[in-house]
Amino acid sequence: MMLGPWLDYTVNGLIIGNIYALLAVGLALIFGVANLINFAHGSVYTVGAYIGWASITFLHTPLPITLLLVIVGCGLLGIAIERVGLRALHGRSRIAPLLATIGISLVLDQLVQLICSPDPRALPNQLGDRRFQIGGGTIGTLDILIAGIGIGSAALLYLFLRFTKLGWAVRATAQDQDAARQMGVDTDRVNMTVFAIASALGGVGGVLVGMYYNDIDPNMSFDATLKGVVAMMIGGLGNVPGAIGGGLLLGLTESYGIALFGSSYRNLFAFALLILILVAAPNGLFQRRRETPPEPLTGTFVARSRPVRLPPWLVAGAVVVAALLPLTNQPYLLQTLTNGLLSALLALSLTLVAGTVGQISLGHAALLAIGGYASGLLALDLGWPVDLGVPAAGLITAALGTLLVYPALRMRGHYVSIATLGIGQIVALVILNWTGLTRGAMGLTGLPPPEIGGFDLTSVRSVYWLVLALVVGIALLQARLLSSHLGRAWRAIREDDVAARSYGVDANRYKAMAFAFGGFGAGVGGAITAHVYSYIDYQTFSATLSILALTMVILGGLGNIVGAILGAVVLTALPEMFRFAADYRMLAYGLVLLLLIRYRPQGLLGTV
Amino acid sequence: MLDRRSLLAGAAAVGVASFARAGRAADAPAIVGVSGPITGPMAQYGAQWKASFDLALEQSKAAGGPAVDYVFEDSQADPRQSVAIAQKFVNDDRIFIEIGDFSSTASMAASPIYQRAKLVQFGMTNSHPDFTKGGDYMWSSSISQAEEQPNLADYAVNALGLKKLAVLHLNTDWGTTAKNLFVKAAQDKGADVVATEAFLPGEHDFRSTLVRIRDANPTGLVLEAYYADAAVIARQVRELGLKQPIAAVGSVYSPKLLELGGDAVNGMFTQSNFFPDDPRPEVQAFVKAFQAKYGRAPDGFNATAYDTMNLVIALVKQFSATREGIHEGLAKIKDVPSVVYGSMTFDPTTRRVAGAKFERLTVKDDKFVLWDGTKPNLG
Amino acid sequence: MLQVRGLARRFGGVTAVAGIDLDVAEGEFVSIIGPNGAGKSTLFNLMSGLDRPDAGSVRFDGVDVTGARPERLAALGLARTFQHGRVFGNLSVLDNVLVGAHTRLRAARPAVPVLGALLELALAAILPGSVRAEERALRADAEKILAMFGDRLLPRRDQPAFGLSYANRRRVEIARALALRPRLLMMDEPTAGMNETETAEMQELIAGLKARGQTILLIEHKLEMVMRLSDRVLAMDDGRRIAEGPPDAVRHDPAVIEAYLGHASMGQAEAAE
Repeated sequence: MMLGPWLDYTVNGLIIGNIYALLAVGLALIFGVANLINFAHGSVYTVGAYIGWASITFLHTPLPITLLLVIVGCGLLGIAIERVGLRALHGRSRIAPLLATIGISLVLDQLVQLICSPDPRALPNQLGDRRFQIGGGTIGTLDILIAGIGIGSAALLYLFLRFTKLGWAVRATAQDQDAARQMGVDTDRVNMTVFAIASALGGVGGVLVGMYYNDIDPNMSFDATLKGVVAMMIGGLGNVPGAIGGGLLLGLTESYGIALFGSSYRNLFAFALLILILVAAPNGLFQRRRETPPEPLTGTFVARSRPVRLPPWLVAGAVVVAALLPLTNQPYLLQTLTNGLLSALLALSLTLVAGTVGQISLGHAALLAIGGYASGLLALDLGWPVDLGVPAAGLITAALGTLLVYPALRMRGHYVSIATLGIGQIVALVILNWTGLTRGAMGLTGLPPPEIGGFDLTSVRSVYWLVLALVVGIALLQARLLSSHLGRAWRAIREDDVAARSYGVDANRYKAMAFAFGGFGAGVGGAITAHVYSYIDYQTFSATLSILALTMVILGGLGNIVGAILGAVVLTALPEMFRFAADYRMLAYGLVLLLLIRYRPQGLLGTV
Repeated sequence: MLDRRSLLAGAAAVGVASFARAGRAADAPAIVGVSGPITGPMAQYGAQWKASFDLALEQSKAAGGPAVDYVFEDSQADPRQSVAIAQKFVNDDRIFIEIGDFSSTASMAASPIYQRAKLVQFGMTNSHPDFTKGGDYMWSSSISQAEEQPNLADYAVNALGLKKLAVLHLNTDWGTTAKNLFVKAAQDKGADVVATEAFLPGEHDFRSTLVRIRDANPTGLVLEAYYADAAVIARQVRELGLKQPIAAVGSVYSPKLLELGGDAVNGMFTQSNFFPDDPRPEVQAFVKAFQAKYGRAPDGFNATAYDTMNLVIALVKQFSATREGIHEGLAKIKDVPSVVYGSMTFDPTTRRVAGAKFERLTVKDDKFVLWDGTKPNLG
Repeated sequence: MLQVRGLARRFGGVTAVAGIDLDVAEGEFVSIIGPNGAGKSTLFNLMSGLDRPDAGSVRFDGVDVTGARPERLAALGLARTFQHGRVFGNLSVLDNVLVGAHTRLRAARPAVPVLGALLELALAAILPGSVRAEERALRADAEKILAMFGDRLLPRRDQPAFGLSYANRRRVEIARALALRPRLLMMDEPTAGMNETETAEMQELIAGLKARGQTILLIEHKLEMVMRLSDRVLAMDDGRRIAEGPPDAVRHDPAVIEAYLGHASMGQAEAAE
């Protein structure tokens, strides 16, 4: 009896781990070949679920035919993603394909939602459910099928990669795309094959999981991608058999986490495990240490570009116009611009960290949350005046943010992105679960408005002016830093951290400095946002905001200060301008993003 | 035009509301501003609202009611967008009342703007206890959990005889409030709450959580969840082999619960302030009309939205389609016919409605039916 | 100045560097030759802190720096160039060179423990006179270094490095290394990919450095250059030392000749030079 529940937790962990493994296998396959974390994988999984649903509902297909249709449908989708969305980006900057997959994911999710409605749908289990008693619980036929498909596909893939000619070509491409091409490997065909296989697998995963829960909805993709990526990371980036192990281990960790602390802590455990693995065994648990130092990636990190040099009078003129805008009577415009400028504080921070220093952070919104909560709690619990609390929140965010990101400082490339994604999630979950400090799910209510010297700023203009002044101030400061030796050192780290370190640039130290400065700006931004809204909770600054901030930064041009502000304002205004398109506006947004990555990867104003 | 000195002096109240406002042309329809999700993760709720608004307005028009129309701005239930929409609405002179947003996060971020502009923000789904504390322009017809939870506790503990309870609740402001109120009420009625488990929105895997619950040995489970979560939980409860009866808060009441939950939700107990088989004439009229227009049965969200639009029409008839008229009217209006409440009257101090009717329901043969008083077999 | 003892590095089953001893004295010019895959670049990586040895030790100016981080070695005065060129593509030519001078920043990088980073951030924001003066001086110096390459780089100093020709990028590498004012300059095939004129030009430049007394460690395939400039030559094959000594002696060492002839991958023309 002592062991009883733990056996159950173990079985449950393995069952959910199965599902993660299935997702991770597809992600690992794509990463192995294209060196790309496919953020659209969860969307393909969702599309698979809906193809299955449509075929069962409208065609009344039996399970084998349903699965076949899903495999064909998602395989073709995978080919389309590779062919239309990604191939043209080959040889461009490393982050262009990553962002493209984010854009593709957005478009696919929106299409599913438009075609199939946002309502959850029942996806009946066609297998029939026979249940077997194990320990105190049961497992069903579907559990076994999911496990079988996960392990079977990994085994098949392994054999395919080892023993077939195409498999050999895939491995050759994975090793070195250019060399493989010179050896006569048709790498385009290889990439296409891999996307087809991985997407078919993802689709099958979607339909099986949908049947498992008898519930599918268009929003299931983000979580699927997230867990799949974590599982893949644990198994080792691009390691197909490792992905199975990673998935199972993730499932077990979550299950034991729930056993110990309850359901709200499951993701906290998942992401803590992720960070632990990243720090202790960055190549995954099942991969031998990488034996050769990585290839130099000189100049490939960001698109080569010559930044557009805006004449100073133009920038100054724009600031003056912006400052005079409130004199026109346009509160809606002002509120939208205020939102845009608040986002600009985040974008300025991210363009420094991701653009100038090259640390693509996918959890940057967590800095806003820290700033917002810090200032909010100082005001509510300690009675600090807001004009003191906001700068204090900036400092707290700088310190806490740098501390939190510390484990990620010695990581590179994709690892940084995944680690920051995990850290961002951890911050949100700690806010949710640390009820004693943060009031948990209830959020902070009744936050006082921003103030200066005892005067409350409540009108939309005064807040606008305040935020505009902050943006201009931080932008000027940031520009000054960029023109100093710090700017040089930061950009050198981005371009080639090995070369930079060889010339005495202590990469960790300078990365930390960038996070500290960036953390201050973002923290102030989060604090002001909190006081303007008067209410924040753990979802106010969500993961989607982190992704949005990154697209702002890319749009403006990595590292480009004016670009970041422009990107923030444009991307805040764009959905507002697309309001007439109502249902279609997020679709339009996704398409604009994709076109931008395709035709102007260096952003509007160019990388600095 | 606002002069800068008074602004710097912190003339807080001189907000956007004081901007010169052109009078509305007499023949233009009065417009309700709706801020809610049409895209994004909560888009289905916006779609449900629309269906009911359209039905209510159509009926009012056919009956020669006042010229009222609505504009629906998509916020994705995102505070960044709901505040922009708020500025848009408060500065649109045609708008005399605002409905929404869907989530408390989005609503409460916009509240200061509506409050300063003296435009009523009617948060029909905002159950966050602090929502109406945002100011005297924040009103809500959302079922008060303070009212519903003791009712549910009475159902579970006294009527069904469940004395050892495990509670699963959504870890949001709504779910946490509901859980706290339920636990208190159940304990007051002499029940023992042996486990409470929170889960995150979007969660699908409850197996391990249920093992914890199983090992706490409850005689019954209580769900503070929405229908989609409740369906998934119920399935996994039965898959785990747990036989205990499940009682759930009224928000699980939806035809979707039956579709998503299948066999597993048979025997689930819930209560609803809206039940299509409720013989009350206003309910039957609504269900019939909704069924005729959309070919499906309405659920609780439809009912709430339908009630709200009818309330607006009644306010316009009895008072005026102006911001001040609505604000005064809400405090004064009495006994507005309501699908959810039977009739609605607001308490002018809490700015909420009291006296929701709760029908005790159970799921039998894949249908919601009125509970016939049979206690579950506690084996 | 540099003492390497028994340095070894294995990758999986392959031993890339197998117990190399090497000494470089102040002002000396030492070249390392050997066929491709002989372990020369790995040896450079081990000495410059980019890779950690499995065995052996490296001492620089008497200090044990085995497995030290590259930042530290740079601070001690060791500068290196890279075989395939690792210029900072999106930085201007001048900025590339200024990064090389990073370790020489004093006013801008206060040597204060713990709070040093914050102070450095503050100084960069405030830009006091001392920091400005230092920056001006370094810029002037960087331009002087660029001028050493005639009109190859100076007119392009504000262009991003990715737009430069291959040969010019190699020059930027060397300029960047010189900006460190290195005590030991390590160059990994500085003339790779250059035509004859360019090679001759580079050779003149390196000869000039030698004449100034610069201590140099060079990996080079072009034997003519090695023979002309080196005080001493170390020949490697399969990670081992096969010969060491004055250029002429090494050149005619049978082991060296055999190593070169035995490797088809080694260009015949180069071996014959």
